[in-house]
Parts: sequence; C-alpha cells; structure tokens
Amino acid sequence: MRSKEIRHYTEEELLMHVLHEESPEYGEAIETHLEKCGECQAVRQEYLHLVKDIQGWPVEDLAEGSWLVRKNQLLEQFRSDPGALRRKGLSHSILKGFHAVWDYALENPLPTMGYIAVAIAFAVERTVSVFRLDRILPATSEVFELIRQML
Amino acid sequence: MTNTLPDEELVEKILRRDESAFSELYDRYRRPIYSIAYRIIQNSQDAQDVTQEIFIKIFRSLSAWDPEKAKFSTWLFRLAANHAIDCWRANRRRPESQFPEESTERVDWRARIGDAIRSPYRDVERKENVETIRQCADSLPELQKKVFVLRFFHDLKLEEIAEMEGCSLGTVKTSLFRGTQAVRRAIRRSQGMK
Repeated sequence: MRSKEIRHYTEEELLMHVLHEESPEYGEAIETHLEKCGECQAVRQEYLHLVKDIQGWPVEDLAEGSWLVRKNQLLEQFRSDPGALRRKGLSHSILKGFHAVWDYALENPLPTMGYIAVAIAFAVERTVSVFRLDRILPATSEVFELIRQML
Repeated sequence: MTNTLPDEELVEKILRRDESAFSELYDRYRRPIYSIAYRIIQNSQDAQDVTQEIFIKIFRSLSAWDPEKAKFSTWLFRLAANHAIDCWRANRRRPESQFPEESTERVDWRARIGDAIRSPYRDVERKENVETIRQCADSLPELQKKVFVLRFFHDLKLEEIAEMEGCSLGTVKTSLFRGTQAVRRAIRRSQGMK
C-alpha cells in the first residue's frame, strides 16, 4: 500500500498530465501525488517550460497580398477542374445512398423483407402483363390473379 | 454571412461547385494549413507551395470526407500533415534544397539575439531554445514529427490523432513523448555547451 503511495510517476505520465491527456481520475491522482512529491513537481515544472517553449515556435507569416494572389490562382484552378469533383461527388452519393439503405435493412429486417416481397411481386406482375406471359403459360394466370389481389 | 456556416454546409456547397464557398474554406483554413506545412518543411516558400497543393488535393478529394468518421478539421489536418510529410521527405532526397533558409534564418536569429541582450535572460534563452526546437523537430522520424506538430500547434487530442493515423493511443503517446524527449535532450545539450 505504502509503496503504491510513494510511486513516482514516469516522465511520460507527467508530460501527458501537463497536456491534460489523461482521464480526470488519473489526473487527480497525479495532482495529489504532486502535492507531496517535490521530485515529480520539478519534472512537471520542466515539462511546463518545455511545452511553453515549443509552442512559442513562431510561424513566418505571409503578407495579405501573397495570400490573395495564391487564392486567385487556386480559384482559377477550381473553376477549370470541375470533372474530378463532379465525378467523385456522383459516385460518392450513390455509395452513400447504398450505405444508408443497407444500414436501414440491417436495423429493420422484417419491414425490409416485406418491401422486397412487394417489389418482387410488383415486378413479376408487370412482366407478365407487359409480355402477356399468361397466354404462354395459362396455369400461371391464376397465381398472378392472386398476386394482383394481394397488391 | 457565409463565414458563420458550419464546415459541413460549406463542404456541401463546394461539392455543388460553389466558388464562394471554396473561397470561404480557403480563408478559414489557409493559416492552420500553412502553419502545419511550415513547421514540417521549415521553409516559407516551400510551405506556401505545399499549402496550395493541399488545397487542390482538398477540392479533389472532398467527397471522400465522411462526417461520421472524423471532424472536417481533423480530416483536413491529416491530409495537410501527410502531404507536407511527403514533400519534406522528397526535399530531403534533394541535397541542394535541404535547409535552404537555414543560413538566412541563422543570421536573423543572431541579429534578434543581439537585440535581446538588453532583454531579460529568459527571453534570450527562449529564443535560443526555439531555434534548437526547430532543428530538432526537423530530425524527428515521420510519425513523431506529425504527432508533435498536430498536438502542440493545432490542439488535436492524441485520441483524434490515433484515430486519424489508424494506430493505437499508446503508439501516439509514445511518439509524442519520444519527440518531446528528443527536444528536451537537444535543449539540455545546447545549454550545456554554453
């Protein structure tokens, strides 16, 4: 029990603590330990300074004019390159629609099977009516009459 | 009015070929993307070119973004970091273009340090540290470099980075720790040499 209490946190754990990358409970446990442990406090302090120094690395900014020139070039390219966007947009929409249907089918299997049965019956009925298949296969006409009544 | 549009709507508009929406997206994200490119490539001119290429990539692959899988900014930063890393890798293979701005930057830093002699000691130390950090970050392995830039400068949580990189949180934590340790050692070395 005692050895757990005096366990020092690793430097990785202390860095994650400085960056708030641990769970709140774990963070609290580290804070409690830090109140009693000067050694870990010193390491934490060093990482605080280090993180501050790292985040102080400046970015060489660009003049507004330079951004504008590049933006115009980019817009020009956007105008003249419509194909990629449209093609990908269409295939993506189809794929997205298929995914949505598939998700619905998995979530609601019974209604989906009902819809499929109705669609098949409707397709069969239309095929028979259009091609007059009941004349070729007279026995089927009764079956289709039944389907028609069901629909 | 458009600048209040959420990213999702902006993307929808761009997919319908709305030029003003793309212009808005550019204004919204040009700085963070340039900043990622700059910190990875460490050359302003190349970072500008890479930023341009990243935006072209964005409008060509925008339809591949899935809002259910990642926030738009996370997807964007991932694309930017990956492209910048590719360019950085290609630049390293060309000896003539390695660290092209180093000499001018060094002169610049000396001048700035010279100016700062009258400033408090910590100020000078911090500027020297930034130069050490810059050099050290350039020598980090790819994943460490990517995690380092995205976590310290773009506030992406490590969980988000792990998700977008397709690796475990532990791997990302270790990468960040190793990168930070390397910087820490470099700073200690530079201070020890003084």
